[in-house]
Amino acid sequence: MKKTYIPKLDDILGGGIIDNASVMFSAVPGVDSEAFGYQMLHGRLKDGDKGFIYTNVAEPETITYEFNSYGWDLQKFLENGDAFFVDGSSPFLGLPSTAKYTIEDYSKMEKVIMEAIEDVPDGIGVINNLSTIIDYLGEDETIKIIKKWNLHGKKHNTSLIYLFTKWDYNTGLVEKVKRSMDCVIEVKTIEERVIIGQGFMVAHSSWSKPSNTMVLFFVVQPGGIKVYIPKILVTGPYNAGKSTFVKRISKRSVSVDRKALSAFPTTIALDIGHLEYKGFIADIFGTPGQERFDLLLDVLGRESVGAFIIVDSTAPETFGRAKEMIRKTRAEAIPKVLVANKQDLSGALSPEEIREKMKLGKDIPIIPAIVTEGKGVTDALDALLGLLYGD
Amino acid sequence: MIVRIASGIPGLDELIGEERGSLAENTVTLVYGPPKVGKSIFCYQFAYEGFRSDEPCLYISADYGLNELERSISNFGWKFDEYRENFYIIDAISTISGLEVESRDNYFPSSVHNPTDIMVKLGMAIRQIASKSHRFRSVLDSLTTLMAFNDELLIVRVLTVYIMRIKESGGTAIVTYTEGSADSKVENMLKAIVDNIIHLDGEKLTIEAMVGSGKITASYNITSNGMIVE
Amino acid sequence: MKSYDVIGFEDLLGDVTPGDLILIYGPPKVGKSIFCYQFLYSGLKGSEPCLYIAADYGSRQLEQRMMEFNWFLQPHIQNGEVYIIDLLTRLAGIKVEDSASVKFSSAQNLADLMVKVGVGTRELFRKSSKFRAVLDSLTIIFAFNPPNLVLRLMKAYKTRVSEANGIGLVVHTTGTVEPQFESSLMELVDLKIFFDGENIQVESSTGKRSAKYTITSEGIKYWGLEG
Repeated sequence: MKKTYIPKLDDILGGGIIDNASVMFSAVPGVDSEAFGYQMLHGRLKDGDKGFIYTNVAEPETITYEFNSYGWDLQKFLENGDAFFVDGSSPFLGLPSTAKYTIEDYSKMEKVIMEAIEDVPDGIGVINNLSTIIDYLGEDETIKIIKKWNLHGKKHNTSLIYLFTKWDYNTGLVEKVKRSMDCVIEVKTIEERVIIGQGFMVAHSSWSKPSNTMVLFFVVQPGGIKVYIPKILVTGPYNAGKSTFVKRISKRSVSVDRKALSAFPTTIALDIGHLEYKGFIADIFGTPGQERFDLLLDVLGRESVGAFIIVDSTAPETFGRAKEMIRKTRAEAIPKVLVANKQDLSGALSPEEIREKMKLGKDIPIIPAIVTEGKGVTDALDALLGLLYGD
Repeated sequence: MIVRIASGIPGLDELIGEERGSLAENTVTLVYGPPKVGKSIFCYQFAYEGFRSDEPCLYISADYGLNELERSISNFGWKFDEYRENFYIIDAISTISGLEVESRDNYFPSSVHNPTDIMVKLGMAIRQIASKSHRFRSVLDSLTTLMAFNDELLIVRVLTVYIMRIKESGGTAIVTYTEGSADSKVENMLKAIVDNIIHLDGEKLTIEAMVGSGKITASYNITSNGMIVE
Repeated sequence: MKSYDVIGFEDLLGDVTPGDLILIYGPPKVGKSIFCYQFLYSGLKGSEPCLYIAADYGSRQLEQRMMEFNWFLQPHIQNGEVYIIDLLTRLAGIKVEDSASVKFSSAQNLADLMVKVGVGTRELFRKSSKFRAVLDSLTIIFAFNPPNLVLRLMKAYKTRVSEANGIGLVVHTTGTVEPQFESSLMELVDLKIFFDGENIQVESSTGKRSAKYTITSEGIKYWGLEG
């Protein structure tokens, strides 16, 4: 087993990747997938393995510069020969190259990569980028070549990491490419009109049990890929049941109270919880309900990736306040779920009635709930996860 | 305010109506037309005009080797000997025709078969020029010959790199091309990626595009003193 | 001779709505880039920030060309109202570093371009509910990539810009790729504007209109609107 050096990924894969695995990172356009390949290569180089990068999209100099911006010194491995480039980019531009191998045209590509694989037994090769190959050589030719490379990788115990941008290829092609790999990791976006987050999840791996954990990440320079623990907001008018909701969804929660005013039963504090549900990890922030704490709402809302808005279904007079809080927490710009609480009490409005009264768009799910009894809580979580991950 | 430089073609600068010159500085001009209409002569005059103001010229010659160039130029009565240290030539043709060329300063032999090597020599020449002068001229004569020996789109990409390098280092360039010699799609790309276009047909010179100016046509002649626009 | 300038938009474009992708096309050197500079600048004057992908020239050349029309970009770059993605300057062989408003990418790394488009649209969307996006032009991108991949890029660009409610522009020089790729491009867009040197034709789902145009020291001026 070899480590991937991507946080959380080794856990999900049951420890890492098998030595001679073919691994593909399939990223939707807009997500940075290069960092994955480079981070894996860098980790392996530091561990003493040899490795190469085949590039048809960027010149070696640019890539070395990129490594530097992550704080990784590729130059020293290039100098001692542990790492080398297969340069399919410079000749394409008519530019000189000092790489160990250059590929002047695609007819030579297959053979050169075979040689590169032989040069790094027990090592790693990164192919950046597979999509360009598909559009130059065509689907069938490319799949044939991938299979030969993977076979060769197995023979020499070399891990092959493919970076693939999932442009609008037909699904048949994408499936065929995925099937030719031992392991496929999907890299996706979380969107609400614009990209607000990115995540990766293992679509399949030939050596480990399937898992539907999506790990949110961000890329820092220096540093590389880091796990991102998002904030989920729980907001709504006072007495709607926010505290109870936070406690219900959190593995462990804390109420940061200002005990000075403990004579009053309402929460004038922040409920903070930590959620782990179906592989999704987040920090939960419950906002105080009273208006005098509204200054906090803007700050809390700033880095949230999703929100629950809890309303008391029997108190339509608080709906206006609910809408105001949505606005103040900037929850209008993130995926959100409305929890219509206290469905057990008489006079409780139905979700449809609430949607009507609040004039909420159909894109906001309204989940009926009795939070004190735990009813509707998992439905609400599922609804928010559904919004976050699309599909 | 567009800074213009003198083209070296009598009558051309006046056509555009500007005192100082016609070609906008830091731009790339495509001079194209049928064979034998004077495109190379345009290039010699452009380079020579620069020499007279002590501006170096980086001359990439794919059609004529150094010996032939010097012969043609002296036929017009121009004295390159006085400006040799400003004349940087990348000779992409002499080696492949097996001609002997005396090595000298500012002379970079290369080959039309190897555009990558031409780009290496370009880099070397620009570095030498940049240490002497912050403005210079450049000529690429011709794209047609480069495309005859290489994939046409590769030459389009090489041209793009050439253009960016010239502009970044303060140069103003002329590139020549024989009309109809490459695929029409490639020809349209060439016209799109340059800044200015001048067409020569043997009798008429047409400025088809020029930064800050409209379309103009005039007659021209090639005399024993070079090209003159009326 | 009545003259309308493009700042108005209403007369010429009428039915452009946020989320639309507009194709600016025609032969080389007819003024398509000047239309882009004007589109960028009039947006800035109306407080609409702009994502500008400079694919035929570098960011410095963009600023210089705009200065010739007295449109000064630098203050708007400082204010973060323009987000420029420069695809060519790296080829000049000098070391370039991204700044807050100017990012450097490559004409042959379309995946990296889309990453920057994603970041750019997010930043501009947070600044303003209305923003513009320009891709000038596809010519060099077609020289650096297989045509199929360029069309895929266009679909991703269109989706990203229209999701964020921006008005997107893409420029194409006719006759630089095989006809089937030009047709696919035409099918992808919501509005087509054709420049031929003298006339401009606007074609949308609601019909066609045309006008005459000329390039002046203040930008493109239109007159003689028909249709």
